[in-house]
Amino acid sequence: MNGFKQIVQSNRVWLCLDCGKCSSVCPITRHVVDCYTSPRLLVETAIGCGEAEVLDDPLLWSCLTCNQCTEICPSLVSFSDFIQNVREAARDQDRSGDCTHGGMIQTWGRMMTDPELKQDRLDWIGSGLKTSEESDTVYFTGCLPYYDAAFEKLDIEGIEIARSALKILNHLGIEPIVLADERCCGHDQFWQGDMAAFRKLGEANLEILKRTGAKRIVTTCPECAWTLKHTYPDTIGDSGMEVLHLAELLAETDLLDNLTINPDTAHKQVTYQDPCRLGRFSGVYQSPRDLIQGLGYELKEMDHNREASLCCGTSCWSSCGQVNKKIQVERLKEAKSSGAELLITACVKCQIHFKCAQNDPVLEEEVQINIRDLTTLIAEQL
Amino acid sequence: MKIQEKGSKIILFTCNWNAYSGLEGAGAEKRSYSASVHPIRLSCLGRITPGIILKAFEQGAKGVYLVGCLEDECRYETGSQQIREIFLETKNLLKLLGYQDNQCQLDFVAAGNGKSFVENIHKFVKGIEELEENL
Ligand code: SF4
Ligand code: SF4
Repeated sequence: MNGFKQIVQSNRVWLCLDCGKCSSVCPITRHVVDCYTSPRLLVETAIGCGEAEVLDDPLLWSCLTCNQCTEICPSLVSFSDFIQNVREAARDQDRSGDCTHGGMIQTWGRMMTDPELKQDRLDWIGSGLKTSEESDTVYFTGCLPYYDAAFEKLDIEGIEIARSALKILNHLGIEPIVLADERCCGHDQFWQGDMAAFRKLGEANLEILKRTGAKRIVTTCPECAWTLKHTYPDTIGDSGMEVLHLAELLAETDLLDNLTINPDTAHKQVTYQDPCRLGRFSGVYQSPRDLIQGLGYELKEMDHNREASLCCGTSCWSSCGQVNKKIQVERLKEAKSSGAELLITACVKCQIHFKCAQNDPVLEEEVQINIRDLTTLIAEQL
Repeated sequence: MKIQEKGSKIILFTCNWNAYSGLEGAGAEKRSYSASVHPIRLSCLGRITPGIILKAFEQGAKGVYLVGCLEDECRYETGSQQIREIFLETKNLLKLLGYQDNQCQLDFVAAGNGKSFVENIHKFVKGIEELEENL
């Protein structure tokens, strides 16, 4: 138990005992019906009960690490970090979250820890898109090629996001380096508490990235951006390179200034899903909105937006069930009731999770709204 | 060198019904195949997931051979169709991970056909052996 108490102390979550403010916003607390669970209660369990109770608490593996709690916390507690620390300790006792998708995604992540692995991951580049061996900029593809293969049935914009990113970068005169031996960034391994795999992935990536001599990493995945920019320096090492989500980079350019607005998109009503890692984690709220409006769309905000945005319902593939589905459906209904006819995201995982929820044969129209990635929408207009 | 002498493993997933009876048929007819092949019987090949196939490779398998029932002989009607989709998805992932085409194959055999089952296994093992020789 001492281990957990120490984690309680280092994360200052004892402050939660007298509080419980975030129980009102935590999506897991709101949607779990067969028992009561909340961030405060988990802390109470960690302090007052045995280890087994903590390991069995429904919040431990279902917490989305969405930071909605942190956003309103009066005591500046980072509850997500507490969860991450406890998950790490739980791993030592062979405990882990649900094995979603038959463990496929965790497995390919672990397979990428093999230093001998020779991936064949650049086929998507094809003709018409320019990359180079030497450049100031690396385009970090993340797991897009893998998601594209794994979620073909959901008709997601997987690798199309990467192609669009290259098209946009080329349009700006940037011919980035795209790495043949890039590994999964390890975001999910980190948040699942699998530090052994995370470290191996991170170390491999840092070595590959440093070898390029580039100054900047651009990615279209908010999770890659957060992990490369913050988690690597905090835990493994710093690439010394600037890390940007493409939306941040584009906000600094005049890309959209001279754009002839497509009459099809002009004044079309759209809404925007703030991905947790881009919004609450990185504080990037305005750039994607500026880009959306720059494309001529009329932005209709959902009731919960920016700091109060609701999560897409699943995180780091460690839980997928009734509760996650309820969160997704709630969000999709909110997107529809904003009056928008298009839901724009800037994270492939938001798209995967929402499109999966839309597959529900019972809900049908209630949750049907077209979903697109910001990157592909921009590329389409160039 | 034979794959068996190298200690490499090949995982053979078969479904419990027609395909497995092929393997039983091979046994009854005393037909031998490489000892590096480790058969795992599933209730239906359509119940496998890409994650399980990847896991076999993660744990060091050199090849994964999937043997199912002919389409119109699937006991659960849709299993043979499902495995085709699962196989394609897995192949795409394995290609990205740098695996060769012949390291994961899918075949369908008729009930109790031990001869063709073993011939298929020989062919699969040979493919893996050639690959290992070229490494
Ligand atoms: S995380 Fe913050 S808001 Fe939530 S219970 Fe703890 S102290 Fe209160
Ligand atoms: S991070 Fe999100 S899911 Fe986890 S406790 Fe906080 S609000 Fe709840």
